[in-house]
Amino acid sequence: MRRSNEPLFWSLFSAGGMLTALLMPALILVTGFLAPAEWVEYARLEALVTNPLGRLVIFAVAFLTFFHWAHRFRHVLVEMGLRRFGLPIAVVCYVAALAGSAWAGVVALG
Amino acid sequence: MTNIATAEQTVTLEIARYRPGVDQRPTLQRYDVPYREEWVVLDALNYLKDRVDGSLSYRWSCRMGICGSCGMMVNGAAKLTCAAFLRDYLPGPIRIEPLSNFPVERDLVIVLDDFMEKLTAIKPWIIRDEEQPIEQGEYRQTPAQLADFKQYSMCINCMLCYAACPVYQHEEQFLGPAVLALAQRYNHDSRDQGNADRYELIWSDEGIWDCTFVGECSAVCPKHVDPAGAIQQAKVESTLGWYRSFIAPFGRR
Amino acid sequence: MTAPYPRQRSNAWYLANWPYRLFMLRELSAVFLALYTVLLLLLVRKVHAGPAAFAGYVDTLQSPLLIAVHVVVMAFALLHSVTWFQAVPKGLPIRRGEEPVPPQLVIGANYVLLLAVTVIVVVVVRV
Repeated sequence: MRRSNEPLFWSLFSAGGMLTALLMPALILVTGFLAPAEWVEYARLEALVTNPLGRLVIFAVAFLTFFHWAHRFRHVLVEMGLRRFGLPIAVVCYVAALAGSAWAGVVALG
Repeated sequence: MTNIATAEQTVTLEIARYRPGVDQRPTLQRYDVPYREEWVVLDALNYLKDRVDGSLSYRWSCRMGICGSCGMMVNGAAKLTCAAFLRDYLPGPIRIEPLSNFPVERDLVIVLDDFMEKLTAIKPWIIRDEEQPIEQGEYRQTPAQLADFKQYSMCINCMLCYAACPVYQHEEQFLGPAVLALAQRYNHDSRDQGNADRYELIWSDEGIWDCTFVGECSAVCPKHVDPAGAIQQAKVESTLGWYRSFIAPFGRR
Repeated sequence: MTAPYPRQRSNAWYLANWPYRLFMLRELSAVFLALYTVLLLLLVRKVHAGPAAFAGYVDTLQSPLLIAVHVVVMAFALLHSVTWFQAVPKGLPIRRGEEPVPPQLVIGANYVLLLAVTVIVVVVVRV
């Protein structure tokens, strides 16, 4: 049995998991409840998304969340009975995460 | 105080029976056994075998939670029958089946060849580049070095973790919780120098990377070995090793 | 003679008991986080597009449907956070000498961090 290359995807999954565990509740609070309550101002958000650090954070959050999803979801599908299609499922999931990240990059650049 | 003049309290057991070559599949057979407050399921099985149905087959030995022989499914949960008290399952009926995820040899006896093969495959012994000469005396360890692996050495090979693991249920090649925890027991033992000999096996897709951290293995373990934790730590070690192999590909792993 | 009964497997194993069901919900939380990230990126796009676009998006966010979506997503995000914090000390046990750092301490520290991050984010988007 040769050494697996899972570590690459697992480290992305772990980083994404840690980031989303700490950050997602806050983001959901903002977009789901503070924004509709008109508690956040356009000017402030505009400053944040045009700031270089802000752009980087947006991209990083999206990239890591998509790869966290891809790794977890491909294992879920395998565990729900699709073990035979493990490889194609993995490819599709990671490619989707890449595509999502590419889109996130475009959006972050504005 | 029990009044022996009154009717004796009984409890119903539904026990899986399977005769190889005769039965197509296991079926449940009902028995009534006396209820004793201090009895465990194993006591009830022994009563049955002694007094009611001598044909019932099952494994047991120490009856005190150290030999690992008496693992079975009690009401669908993996348990040592010497540690499952009848009083916790009242009013019954109590369903007793062979350990999940293993082929059934007969009645409550499972085929454990797969487990034994995998156990041997990870080289569960101290591996040294060179044995220390006898004159130097014993290998010494500090309490902290012992603490590094002691928990993983408590495994009694009862296989409850395999019965609880959904990955093992579906993936025949998966090494499984106990085997991986045992590999870590040796990898973390300061006397052992055989980590590299084990990584090939445990860092593979059939080793730690089949595990999705369901965590039920650790939940059912009667000796608190925490194989799930051992596997997650191995994932961290494997990942660090993987990154390191790009930075220093010729170093000793 | 030996004719063992082959080991059984079920494709609905995750429905068999509560720990398995919770595991599956935990795994599926990643789906909701990914879907939410799409919503988040759409918001960023609207912000880049100007105040009118942003105002339109806020209108959408005020709809009962979107509020409900966020409630569901928040529930799954919290499930993810809680289960993730429980998992961290398993993979990274910290020991000082012989004594292990109690996992509750590590888990507690993560909750403190979660609170701190939430406060910081709320402050940053407002001030």
